[in-house]
Amino acid sequence: MSSRVRIGILIAVTAGLMLVAASMVGVNVFAILDAMILSSYKDTVRFTVMLQKLTVYTVAGVAVHLALRAGLFNIGVEGQFLMGGLAASVAALSVPGSVGMVLGALAGATAGGLWAWPAGWLKARKGSHEVISTIMLNAIAANLSFYLIAGVLKDPKASTAATANLPAETRIPAVLTHYVGMNALVINGALLVAAIVYVVYYRWLTRSVKGFEVSAVGENPTAARFAGVNSPSVVLRAMVSSGAIAGFAGSLHLMSATGKFVSSFSDGYGYDSLGVALLSGGHPAALIPSAVLFATLGAGTPKVQQLGVPLGLTTVVLALVIVIFAAIRATKGAKTV
Amino acid sequence: MRQFGQPRGQRLFEGILINAGVSWAILGLAALGGLLSERSGIINIALEGKMLTAASVSAAVGIQTGSAVLGLVAGVVAAIVLSLTHYALTQAYNLDHIVSGMALNFFALGATNFLGSRIPASSGVAVFPGSAFTAALLIGALLIALVMVRSRFGLRLLATGNDPEKAREVGILTHRVRLQAMIFTGVFCGLSGVAVMSNIAGFSDRMTAGQGYIALAALIVSEWKPVRVVVVTLVFALFQAVQIQMQGKPVFGVELPSEFWSSLPYLVTLLALGGLLGKVRPPRGLGQP
Repeated sequence: MSSRVRIGILIAVTAGLMLVAASMVGVNVFAILDAMILSSYKDTVRFTVMLQKLTVYTVAGVAVHLALRAGLFNIGVEGQFLMGGLAASVAALSVPGSVGMVLGALAGATAGGLWAWPAGWLKARKGSHEVISTIMLNAIAANLSFYLIAGVLKDPKASTAATANLPAETRIPAVLTHYVGMNALVINGALLVAAIVYVVYYRWLTRSVKGFEVSAVGENPTAARFAGVNSPSVVLRAMVSSGAIAGFAGSLHLMSATGKFVSSFSDGYGYDSLGVALLSGGHPAALIPSAVLFATLGAGTPKVQQLGVPLGLTTVVLALVIVIFAAIRATKGAKTV
Repeated sequence: MRQFGQPRGQRLFEGILINAGVSWAILGLAALGGLLSERSGIINIALEGKMLTAASVSAAVGIQTGSAVLGLVAGVVAAIVLSLTHYALTQAYNLDHIVSGMALNFFALGATNFLGSRIPASSGVAVFPGSAFTAALLIGALLIALVMVRSRFGLRLLATGNDPEKAREVGILTHRVRLQAMIFTGVFCGLSGVAVMSNIAGFSDRMTAGQGYIALAALIVSEWKPVRVVVVTLVFALFQAVQIQMQGKPVFGVELPSEFWSSLPYLVTLLALGGLLGKVRPPRGLGQP
């Protein structure tokens, strides 16, 4: 079978699945697509949510991408993101003002890196697959963070498990606020920080020796070792750096979007970011369109639900998109990740 | 207050054993499914997705038809379909095995949420008892152990998983071997998923709750050997059962938080991967085309 026929079959099966799903819920396909894709751009509130998600997906997507380049599937971004947000909330609540903001970001990155360390160590020294160890660490992070915010870190005034609200001066300020009637369109400074992280990462990966080493280890660890690269040490450093970036994403999210650490702090951001990086394939330039797609669909999901379509549909769509793009890359002989 | 003079320790022990039996079947059957796939060379992190799909489909069919048998068959068939999709994506479309597995897990999460919203709320589905699944685990492990060393198919499976290139050179149709292995992977993961559903006798969103990943860890710790899978999953299951029984009970006068007990199975898995064993050696051809 030619590759074009195979891709054609895949797309036909996908389209068939989507039509079956749409007919099951009995809602017009175009109405679903409109809510899923366009609602984020029609409404200032949804657009603001989209930008908040884009901020997280960009930074956490970079985290997953860095690990992928070293040949690692960092599924632990979810847990690293949680620990980063939690550590940032502790730091930002104890030190006031912009110093607290900087400390919060540092604490977030440190916590994320520490939470990734066991997985990196297991991979580098024991050869244990990072997919398993990071999933275990995610579960522990979810339990630990909930235990802390329901216990010692709980705001005594709050009725649910949550930390206190960050004071206004430790939050990242908006760079633009535009009112349409009563609703505000807000572009937070965190989005600019995310853009800087992305640009720095892009240049580091494509222009620096360390970035090249990471890619070399990811391509072929044995060949890299013969070329004088210490593969296990690169693996460990890549994993910890990936975790630190994920933790930093958590602190950005805390200080720009949520303002406090609540039990639903992550909302699956870590797993979605894995999707963002997988969809982008190997190339960092594709990270941004991929993050925009995830943010758009994510922000549109409540609108889709209002139509009576279950939440799961968006996840199904994203899974199918990832498969199709990966299959197209694979038939061209490129690496899928 | 004690009931009928039965000592507290004994009741605790019974509770642990009952819970462990169910977890043992769930983890063991899924790990055996993963074993067949990975022994044929296909990395399978989609055990979770297959289990979740089987559990949800068997709940839906069980509620609609009122038949435990039909529910079981539908669940297993759904898992086989997903398993064959993984086969097609990794073998025909040459997708990275982890990418395909992650996408299938994603898909299963979304699709079962979608399916769940269509299932009428129901109290009680006709199900098989937990012991039936434990029996299936023991028989299945024994059969796989025998097949792997005594049968033509088993030797071909091992050859394919160890070195697909060489296996092809000696005339083994590696694609056919992998296809057959993946069908049985679907059967075992399907049974595991139906065991999850039977345990709660109904549908709930994300009802497998990450058990597929723990099963995969157990498979690694067992070094891809069927009899060891039975032993290791029993140990994992005992820890899970201890966790359920010990929630809110003081240990040496200190009441540990429930989050600690919930984390215990994951912590044990991490320690098992890290310290308790040396470097594990996966099948040499794992992930190769």
